[in-house]
Amino acid sequence: MQAPTLRTELHSDTLHIYATGDWRLTQLGTLPAWRYAPLPDTIELDGGAIASLDPSGALALLQNLNAQGVDINKVGLANFSTGHLDILNLVREHFGASRAVRPPRRKWVARLGKSTETGINHLIHLINFVGKLTIEMAGLVVTPSRFRWKEFVNQVEAIFIYAIPLVFAMMFLLGLVFAYLLGRQAERYGANIFVVDGAALAICRELAPVIVAILVAGRSGAAITAQLGTMKVYEETDAISVLGLSPCVVLVIPRIFALLIALPLLVFIGDIAGLLGSMVIADQQLGITSAAFIHRLQQELDLPTVLVGLLKAPIFAMFIGVIACYMGLSVARDARSIGLNTTSTVVQSIVAVILLNAIIAITLVKLGI
Amino acid sequence: MAEALVEVDKLVTRFGGSTVLKGVSLQVMRGEIVALIGGSGTGKSVLLKQIIGLLRPTSGRTALFGTDIWSASSAELSSLRQRFGMLFQDGALFSSINIEQNVATPLFEHTDLPKSQCLKLARLKLALVGLPASAALKMPNELSGGMRKRAALARALALDPELLFLDEPTSGLDPISARAFDDLIRALSHNLGLTVLLITHDLDTLLSIIDRVIVLAHGEVLGSGSIAEIRQIDDPWLKEYFSARASLENPSHA
Repeated sequence: MQAPTLRTELHSDTLHIYATGDWRLTQLGTLPAWRYAPLPDTIELDGGAIASLDPSGALALLQNLNAQGVDINKVGLANFSTGHLDILNLVREHFGASRAVRPPRRKWVARLGKSTETGINHLIHLINFVGKLTIEMAGLVVTPSRFRWKEFVNQVEAIFIYAIPLVFAMMFLLGLVFAYLLGRQAERYGANIFVVDGAALAICRELAPVIVAILVAGRSGAAITAQLGTMKVYEETDAISVLGLSPCVVLVIPRIFALLIALPLLVFIGDIAGLLGSMVIADQQLGITSAAFIHRLQQELDLPTVLVGLLKAPIFAMFIGVIACYMGLSVARDARSIGLNTTSTVVQSIVAVILLNAIIAITLVKLGI
Repeated sequence: MAEALVEVDKLVTRFGGSTVLKGVSLQVMRGEIVALIGGSGTGKSVLLKQIIGLLRPTSGRTALFGTDIWSASSAELSSLRQRFGMLFQDGALFSSINIEQNVATPLFEHTDLPKSQCLKLARLKLALVGLPASAALKMPNELSGGMRKRAALARALALDPELLFLDEPTSGLDPISARAFDDLIRALSHNLGLTVLLITHDLDTLLSIIDRVIVLAHGEVLGSGSIAEIRQIDDPWLKEYFSARASLENPSHA
């Protein structure tokens, strides 16, 4: 291929611009520079020596002339082959369209207002969603036969059964590390046996509920949002409505109930795993035998401590479920929105779990439990 | 004799136990507009994916611009891919960027032009496919189906390809938009000297813009030629296909 060139000649008051070479997209890196001043009234573009021309090349040619002050709609065209002339005329007709249309940039006040409005709308929609969910749940109490058992069981399987190995492994390791660090401190004062008290209290009351809730938010919350979001994009949720069913009853309520059942059970498994981890390290590091560990546990770990931990779980589950389902059903119809909403679900759920946990802890301290 | 831009030779495709294509051979010459027709499940889309190098055939040869794509190096394949455009059935616009950036993406990736020039070329392509300037800054999900198809066509044309593949260009469009889209393809291929291979179910497309039809049935090429020649073929599916049209035009015979 030849580089595109332009050559000018003046004959009897007409400026002839001779274009040669390949005016193609791949050749546009090396555009010819030319200058002719002052420009005469009649200008003619001669394309007889153009080897090839594509729309990108045609645009570049016209831009080149336009940049030198040539009126591209008045310039005469000579010796172009029919094919090249078609392309050039087509591009000339749409030349104006290549200019950018930019929406006026908003001032920061307007942007702040816009994002505030978005935030408030988000809150209103969330409250609406919770209201709708409450009504649907009340409806289910009246006609319990509408409850989707199959979907519920599937969700329990996905949220509870398949999460057991993960929860067990994570809480075991956490119990191990926690008891080890506690043991390092307790050893110095010869207070080895108090490691059992500390580990049991921390794991059952705080660590297991919060960590398991965060694991479930990341694992199942994200899955719920992504699945419901994809169903929304493919209009499956609309299809459910058209069948006379409620997406809330078919999709949302089984998932929330599954979370309500699964999370306390997972927390209980987390309690056992964490205590097992502590027991292993207590034996290795502090010389507390398993029998001594369990004996001390029986004396010190009272039922209210365990129940506080287990009863926090359904509260966390409720928030994770509502946030995940709401974010899933509020996906816009594009791929990017699914990613954004899934991220948002995980962030919102984790923040909610930690905030709720703090509120519950303070309340219980004030109540003296 | 014109140069063959697309060559498919004795192509066989098996998925598991079922044979989808049993030895398909066809050619598309420079400057032709060729339609590939056939009933659902006859392997049209599979064939197209194999021609453009997205799916490897079980055996047989496919070549674009005379280069065998399954023995080409990745550099050769990349330069081949810059010489053809593909319009996917549902547009396949990237949903996270706006329309003008969608169209400019091939230019960003494959040319050294400054970003502003890429966007100018993209807007020119959008104008060529008949989209208003206001559409350039919209996101794909803000456009109607017909406009999305046009935007996708603009992206397929971004690198000024010599060859264009269209997968059901008029499906999902109303008849008026569909005819406008046909005219657009005809005009662009005429003005820009494009070679087009398209898959279609749309009889109106066949009757209005096509130079040649290739019929695929039972995993083989049943025939190739003008509409009049194709109509002579004795095949139950083809008879029914064309009679659907006839009964629409002469309701009394239906």
